[in-house]
Amino acid sequence: MKRGRFLASYCAALFAFLYLPLAVMFVFSFNDARRNVVWRGFTFKWYKALVQDVELMRAMWTSLELAAAAAAIAAFLGMLASYAMVRHQPFGGRSAYSALLNVPLMMPEVALGVGILSFLIRAGYELDFAALACAHALICLPYTVAAIRARLISLQESSLEEAAMDLGATEFQAFMKVTLPLAMPAIISGALLSFTVSFEDFVISFFIAGIGIVTMPIKIYSMMKFGVTPEINALSVCLVAATLLLLALNAALSLRLEDGGRR
Amino acid sequence: MQNALSWLLGGRKPAASHILLAPAALWLLFFLVIPALGLVTLSFATNGPYGTIVWTLGLHNYRRAFDPKYLPVLIRTLAFAGSTAALCLLLGYPLAYFLTFRAGRWRNALLVALMLPFWSSCLVAFYSWMIVLGKEGLINTTLLRLGFLNSPVGFLYTPFAILLGLVYFYLPFTVLPLYASLEKIPRSIIEAAYDLGADRWTAFFKVTLPLSLPGVVAGCLLTFIPCLGDFLTAELLGGPRYYLLGNLISNQFMMAQDWPFGAALTSILLSGLIAGLWLYQRWEEQA
Repeated sequence: MKRGRFLASYCAALFAFLYLPLAVMFVFSFNDARRNVVWRGFTFKWYKALVQDVELMRAMWTSLELAAAAAAIAAFLGMLASYAMVRHQPFGGRSAYSALLNVPLMMPEVALGVGILSFLIRAGYELDFAALACAHALICLPYTVAAIRARLISLQESSLEEAAMDLGATEFQAFMKVTLPLAMPAIISGALLSFTVSFEDFVISFFIAGIGIVTMPIKIYSMMKFGVTPEINALSVCLVAATLLLLALNAALSLRLEDGGRR
Repeated sequence: MQNALSWLLGGRKPAASHILLAPAALWLLFFLVIPALGLVTLSFATNGPYGTIVWTLGLHNYRRAFDPKYLPVLIRTLAFAGSTAALCLLLGYPLAYFLTFRAGRWRNALLVALMLPFWSSCLVAFYSWMIVLGKEGLINTTLLRLGFLNSPVGFLYTPFAILLGLVYFYLPFTVLPLYASLEKIPRSIIEAAYDLGADRWTAFFKVTLPLSLPGVVAGCLLTFIPCLGDFLTAELLGGPRYYLLGNLISNQFMMAQDWPFGAALTSILLSGLIAGLWLYQRWEEQA
């Protein structure tokens, strides 16, 4: 099995390539040297500097609020749209909606950014937080639709909503008491993915954040332009840890979904 | 009130479906369709003094995009996107093969591990590559200490750095479609090839590879198309000398204030994307 081992070590090398940047920033975020990539001793001071950086903390709050707003909008729009596409009788234009809802995924972010920028400015709209949140909601929408739609399709097969209506519930009651609670894990999972997408988005924010709005990625970008400092390493480690946490939550939710389907 | 909501949710009339889809449709209209059409319209206008827009319509912005000053950027973008797709395919195919046929119980864990770097912000990953590749970076410092180099080499701000960044970021986009199509191949077909006397390599080239072709095409396209519009890689790892189409567009809107020209460049980018998707669909219909 010499050949099999060769392939396995090749894949290990490829994974090493993918994880090298993450490992480097993790190690050097604890290095006690400002400009050097030589190990000079262990320190927490870059993490301390992060917490004390007022502008950075403000940027983090902006990003958290932005991601929460975008995720909430995307989850709401995604729920309504998925429900109509899955539960309603087939109607004219359904496949067109379905195709169009995936376009934000394929659209280059630069094109979306400059398109929305020029549209808003020429319509005389002052660039503000709401505009940015709405634009972020657009790029999150495909994720919430995908998550909620898959869940509604699997619920369709169990026909619990029909059972509720056979027992005398109105469509509204069946929706509130049966479909919505059962779809909730998928709604939350879609919202969590959206939160991650929005929190990490740089390109859209770069183009349409007004002058006063500094999100976390924009702040990191401007710090990077000043040059390499270990604080960015510490910040990156925090961000990657936060992303991992969100994805783990999301995975836990989908595991629960699978259990729910079996019950 | 409840009756009205029941009517909406019941969806026996198309009107109810359209009303439920209306919010999402409005979002797509205002943040996708109108901006895109607006850019196409703008691309025929003329840039006035101080970044104003004069509605003298013509094709001059498109002509300018193809003049010798900007043509190299378009060609460079195509070359980088093409070589990234090719490299990702060469590097990623063995990995997809391993994941499908050899990984066993580790498969799901490895698939997650493959996607994780993609979910963490690429800004952060590129920063780390700057530390690795820089003049005072990890590679240079190590090589100097070991005596392999006498003076530091500038790995950063070169075409090599851009290609590395693009391959790093887009590799999962190639591997996942490859994995999906390899996974679909019935094992019995491959075993049949062995039973009929084919060795490993013959079985691979005559059976596995041709059957995974849909994944190869999808994977290349899913890498090639986003690369055409990539902005951050050249901005951070390449620098102004190696700007790609995305950077040129960004400059027209953020620095040069020549929106009509920027709009024309964006329209060229979008038509490249549409052409790519159209070709893919035709290929899929034929196959």
